[in-house]
Amino acid sequence: MNFRKVSAVVFTATAVLSMAACSGSSSGTSSSESNGSSFEFWSFTGIDAKGSAAEYKAKRPDVQIKLTEVGNAQETAQALTTALAGGKVPDLVLIQGDDLPKFVQQPQNFVDLRTMGADKIKGDYLDWVISQPTAKDGSIIGIPTDVGGMAIAYRADLFKKAGLPTDREEVSKLWPTWDAFIETGKKYTAATGKAFVDNAGGSVYSQVVNQGQEKYYDPAGNLVYERSPQVKAAFDLALKAVAAGITAKQSTFTEGWSAAMKKGDFAVIAAPVWMLGSIRDNAPDTKGNWDIATIPGGSGNWGGSFLAIPKGAKNPKAAWDYIAATQSPQGQLDHFSKARSLPATPSVYKDPKLTSAKDEFFSGAPIGTIYTDSLLGLKPFLIGPDSTTIGIEFTNAITNVEQGKGDPAKAWDAAVTNIKNAIGS
Amino acid sequence: MTTSITPTKAGLPPAPPVEAARRGFIEIIAPYAYIAPFFLLFAVFGLIPLLFTFYVALFDWNPIGEHVFVGLDNFDRLLGDVRFWNAARNTVSIWLLSTVPQLLVALVLAHLLNHARLRLAVFFRMTMLVPYITSVAATAIVFVQMFDRDYGLLNWLLGLVGFEHIDFTQSVTGSHVLIAVMVTWRWFGYTTLLYLASLQAVSREIYEAAAVDGAGNVRQFLHISLPALRPVIVFTIVTSTIGGLQIFTEALLVNRGAANTCGPIRQCQTLTLFLFEQGFIQFKFGYAAAIGVALFVMVVGFAGLNYFLSTRIRPVKG
Repeated sequence: MNFRKVSAVVFTATAVLSMAACSGSSSGTSSSESNGSSFEFWSFTGIDAKGSAAEYKAKRPDVQIKLTEVGNAQETAQALTTALAGGKVPDLVLIQGDDLPKFVQQPQNFVDLRTMGADKIKGDYLDWVISQPTAKDGSIIGIPTDVGGMAIAYRADLFKKAGLPTDREEVSKLWPTWDAFIETGKKYTAATGKAFVDNAGGSVYSQVVNQGQEKYYDPAGNLVYERSPQVKAAFDLALKAVAAGITAKQSTFTEGWSAAMKKGDFAVIAAPVWMLGSIRDNAPDTKGNWDIATIPGGSGNWGGSFLAIPKGAKNPKAAWDYIAATQSPQGQLDHFSKARSLPATPSVYKDPKLTSAKDEFFSGAPIGTIYTDSLLGLKPFLIGPDSTTIGIEFTNAITNVEQGKGDPAKAWDAAVTNIKNAIGS
Repeated sequence: MTTSITPTKAGLPPAPPVEAARRGFIEIIAPYAYIAPFFLLFAVFGLIPLLFTFYVALFDWNPIGEHVFVGLDNFDRLLGDVRFWNAARNTVSIWLLSTVPQLLVALVLAHLLNHARLRLAVFFRMTMLVPYITSVAATAIVFVQMFDRDYGLLNWLLGLVGFEHIDFTQSVTGSHVLIAVMVTWRWFGYTTLLYLASLQAVSREIYEAAAVDGAGNVRQFLHISLPALRPVIVFTIVTSTIGGLQIFTEALLVNRGAANTCGPIRQCQTLTLFLFEQGFIQFKFGYAAAIGVALFVMVVGFAGLNYFLSTRIRPVKG
């Protein structure tokens, strides 16, 4: 009995500890055959990676693509990290923008795509997008597949009930600035008694903070989050929206958020282009009630992904051929027509295929032009190793004021303390 | 003792010396070979990762970058890290909130299920296990929906009778209660069955004699069932302590908006979730390993305390 107890204790303790010890350095061999025309591709779920692979195979029947949909974007990045540490890597992997910085910090794990020809095509992409996969030593470890241009999705039917204009041009004129956006929210809430926007962290803070020229780091790589005027302005605007009582206090992608969207308990979401699919799937009954207006401040981006080739890839050439064929301006435009992923290549932004694209779910809004217009005003800024952590802590401080009992006067200091604690400086 | 496995040579025909020596050697190592698979697996999946964790804890260890030896810096930082103490506090709080009601409920249920005249006893005993065999993630998702601030069933009922909605996920107490309810729900049936098994070993005649003497249900419970259960109660306290120190899935799924910290102010982040956040979100493997070591020390401490207690508590013989 005692032995069993003790061994049970040892086993359980071991189980916990082994979680922390999944690293190692064995040199496994990839299962993909090295015949030069096949490659192994890790992608996310939910973005129709199978469709993309099938399109490519139709053009290149000689190529075998061994596609694995690993999980969501974060799980794919975790699997990639484990794979890089263990040595058994795919030939091609899709990395979401949020997860990219920690890989860019360690560029030695990836093929420098300049050696494959990225130098020649890097001018095709928006400068602030291609700067993200560019490491300190100048190597380029990823090619952008899409960007998450910003707009505001609003419920025209609810606006009408609140006595607000419903036409997308007029609605856009309601909020040239974020202050005007909050004022509109107050009018809406006063007229209906309901919340205006889903939350302050995602729909206000995360948007405003990306509209400046400098975020958490200065161009030299020094941490400036404490004194960056853009960060402070974004934080204060978010708190102002909370104080105005116009937020539904529903964090993005939670159960409550989905329910509130279905019931029309908020009228407005800051919607990156990929959010349109979420709204469509989440609240199918609201078809035709939505429309899309421009975002306050005129520009914004949330999301976007990159294709990278790990250093240990068996068939880097086949993987690069895929990138070169599918991520050219024309390739991204074709993909926009099929899958509504927004090209990162500005040369196609005036193409009729893009400008004529309309979305019936959103009352026929011209999504191509609305979203690409939001991308042109953005400036490149340095994303550092702790950018994600800093962003999470600021958003958490706002959420705590919004949903919890946090004191708005102390929120900024609390966020800064938490950041220092988390990043150790 | 050790020689008893090797047969005596007396009855065997004389063998050539070399072969005899070989056979003797095989016979000596054979028993070790039989038990080797377990120990090899334990070494590969248990002991080596354990020791490796102690090693990693001494480094600033980036899984895809450099491994810099930092000595005990990770532990030094850990002891001064408010997030660690917050996680430790949360873990103990959730453990208490889940273990105490769970064991009490299980005790009473076991006593009721052990009743001689209970009809459909097998049915009731089997249903006890349903929450236990339900996936933790499924349980968590359903409970989070039921406890939702604006659209949850529970708050809807509270609203019907005129109470304010309670925000379970955003406050410290509320989120701890929510997780404790999930843990209790999952484990009470299992614990009940453990108690029941123990109770069934108690001779029915004792209960009958007590009943004849005029002892009611409560007296029977206090003076027969409870003393008989002492060793198994200690056992369940230990297992639920170890389980309580490792609560993870429930905490991860409570606050989808800030899942890795279980909310914006880490209101219900447990030690294992803190370990996960540092290891697999921040990729600070060295620091995560140090958290793992701290957790190991705590588990060993609790186990030692239990060993101390359990050697002093013996069942009271009828």
